[in-house]
Amino acid sequence: MKFILEVKGVKKAYRMGNVSVPALRGVSFSVEEGEFVAILGPSGSGKSTLLHVIGGLDRPDEGTVFIDGEDIFTLSSNQLADVRLHKIGFVFQFFNLLPRLSALKNVELPLTLADVNEKETTEKAKKLLALVGLGERMHHRPSELSGGEQQRVAIARALINDPKIILADEPTGNLDTKTGWEIVELMKNLNAKKEQTFIIVTHDPSIAEEADRIIYVKDGIVEGIKERVNKK
Amino acid sequence: MRLKQTLEMALENLKRRRFRTSLTTLGVVIGITAIIALSSIGEGFRLAVKTNMEQGFELDVLTVIPGSIIGGYSYQKFTDQNVTSIRSIQNVTTVTPIMQITGASLKNGDKKSAALVVAAVNFTDFWRIFRNRLAFQEGGLPSSPKNDTIIIGHKVNTVNQTGTFAEVGDQVNVTFTVRSVPPFTKTLTFNVTGILAESGSSILTSFDYWVFIPLTTGRDIYQTEESDVIFAQVNNPEISDKVTDAIEALFPPFRITIIVPITFIRQVDHILNLIQIFLTSIAAISLLVAGIGIMNIMTVSVMERTREIGIMKAIGAKERTIMTMFLAETILIGLAGGLIGVPTGYGVAQILTMILSRFMLNQGGNNGVLSNPERQPSTTVNPVFSLEWTVGALVFGILICVIFGWYPARKAAKLDPVQALRYE
Ligand SMILES: Nc1ncnc2c1ncn2[C@@H]1O[C@H](COP(=O)(O)OP(=O)(O)O)[C@@H](O)[C@H]1O
Ligand SMILES: [Mg+2]
Repeated sequence: MKFILEVKGVKKAYRMGNVSVPALRGVSFSVEEGEFVAILGPSGSGKSTLLHVIGGLDRPDEGTVFIDGEDIFTLSSNQLADVRLHKIGFVFQFFNLLPRLSALKNVELPLTLADVNEKETTEKAKKLLALVGLGERMHHRPSELSGGEQQRVAIARALINDPKIILADEPTGNLDTKTGWEIVELMKNLNAKKEQTFIIVTHDPSIAEEADRIIYVKDGIVEGIKERVNKK
Repeated sequence: MRLKQTLEMALENLKRRRFRTSLTTLGVVIGITAIIALSSIGEGFRLAVKTNMEQGFELDVLTVIPGSIIGGYSYQKFTDQNVTSIRSIQNVTTVTPIMQITGASLKNGDKKSAALVVAAVNFTDFWRIFRNRLAFQEGGLPSSPKNDTIIIGHKVNTVNQTGTFAEVGDQVNVTFTVRSVPPFTKTLTFNVTGILAESGSSILTSFDYWVFIPLTTGRDIYQTEESDVIFAQVNNPEISDKVTDAIEALFPPFRITIIVPITFIRQVDHILNLIQIFLTSIAAISLLVAGIGIMNIMTVSVMERTREIGIMKAIGAKERTIMTMFLAETILIGLAGGLIGVPTGYGVAQILTMILSRFMLNQGGNNGVLSNPERQPSTTVNPVFSLEWTVGALVFGILICVIFGWYPARKAAKLDPVQALRYE
């Protein structure tokens, strides 16, 4: 089986004045194409930092990341932006939609950045909004949508460029339990349907249990990996 | 990102800060208005001065006079041979020599008058050259001038403010002083065939104070074959320099001076041009101030939108894209400022020149000399619409916006996405 993602010896420390605070202290693991992986760990364990490095938003101090066999940190920042645009989809805890744009325009944004023509862009965005269950509310602005709805828009936006990997950082962290589970269900369905790889960061063990594999992170290192028995 | 989407997004972002955007744009509007107003008034002023000067000169007439400021005044007269040589120069159409006789007095019965200059001229050639300035109020050029033909200038014919000295058909006596040793006077009777209309002010001289008699008569009186001044008409004022060189080559160095009207006009035009550039540069400073305003506003805007910039980058926006987005906003401000500022500038110029010419009109009325209504139009300044200045101001406006928008836009483009996403 081919690895869509390989994390190799990633170290990253934050500099606070004169002291260096280690966030990642040597993380390595691999993810197969189409897997649904949860990264589980307590707050401050380095999950977000790890996700940012995987997604090419942040450069590690040591080690590197291969996406689709390509060492992404040999790339220029321009090329890295292209990796984010075409191979990665981000979903955040605080949704991170652009407040001035309608749901539709938010979803369209990655295709707009990729210079895809307007008609195709709009058609695809509408289709995806329907897929995540928001076909009716696509002309609303984020402020006019509930948290769950905003997160659906964010997921649609993450999916629109058909990325290989979706990275979600505590996607349920800002939602009530019921809505949170709906979002998890949505992502699981998408994973099953489209064979895209999902990596979800969470500190909620019950959500992590839904994944094919759980990667336990603590104090910036991988403490253990648990494979689910009835893995598809 | 495509141009259309970039502009749409920039417009959207400007609209959400409507008040700030308006104020910033106002700064650009004021700058462009000042540039356009000052340059168009300057251009109008230049045109007015030029027109005025052109009215004061026969642009195509070179005046050749004896002596030179550099070489010291050497008294010299011109021979008919000189006239013939000048006539053979290329691009010279008419050449006419004249005698300038001063100190003559005129008498018509009891009435007396004096002429600044009694000019002994070849009527046909002289009138061909100065046809515009030598219109007749009464009478005209005789078809075949006789030895005793005289034509009287407007002011010479005006005695005691309103009275006239002579009429067409009158016989007038002219007394000439011949400065031989010993000096003597000679009085001749002339037949008035024409009275000139007012000729308007000339830079060099006013023919209003002149009377004209045939060249042959003048030469008879003074027993000479020479003349004092030669007028040479060229077929195109722009090639005056060439003709001037050719004339100078005919004489030993520093013997003659040639008055070339077009060089006066060029000089004045040059000076006015410098003044205009100076004034417009001052106006341009106000645009610089507007630019600093843009820089300020955009820096604040980048800070406020840090998180959005982080989101854009996370989604895959390149540095170039972010930079273009912010620059597009400042360019739109510059464009809007220009599109409003240009017509406003011309409007302000119209109003200012209206006020200015009203003021000048009042001034003229007070001192009486300039109150001649026929001369008013030439002193009115009308702002001139110039495509070059318009395009120049627009381009400069946008350029300023780009220059001052560059730093904040770059700052936005260089933001660290992770930090930007954390920004509250
Ligand atoms: N920008 C930063 N500057 C300094 N320290 C940071 C920064 N980001 C994260 N950290 C530190 O790195 C560690 C890991 O943080 P993070 O990756 O956000 O953890 P998690 O997402 O698991 O809560 C924490 O100790 C945190 O305080
Ligand atoms: Mg986190």
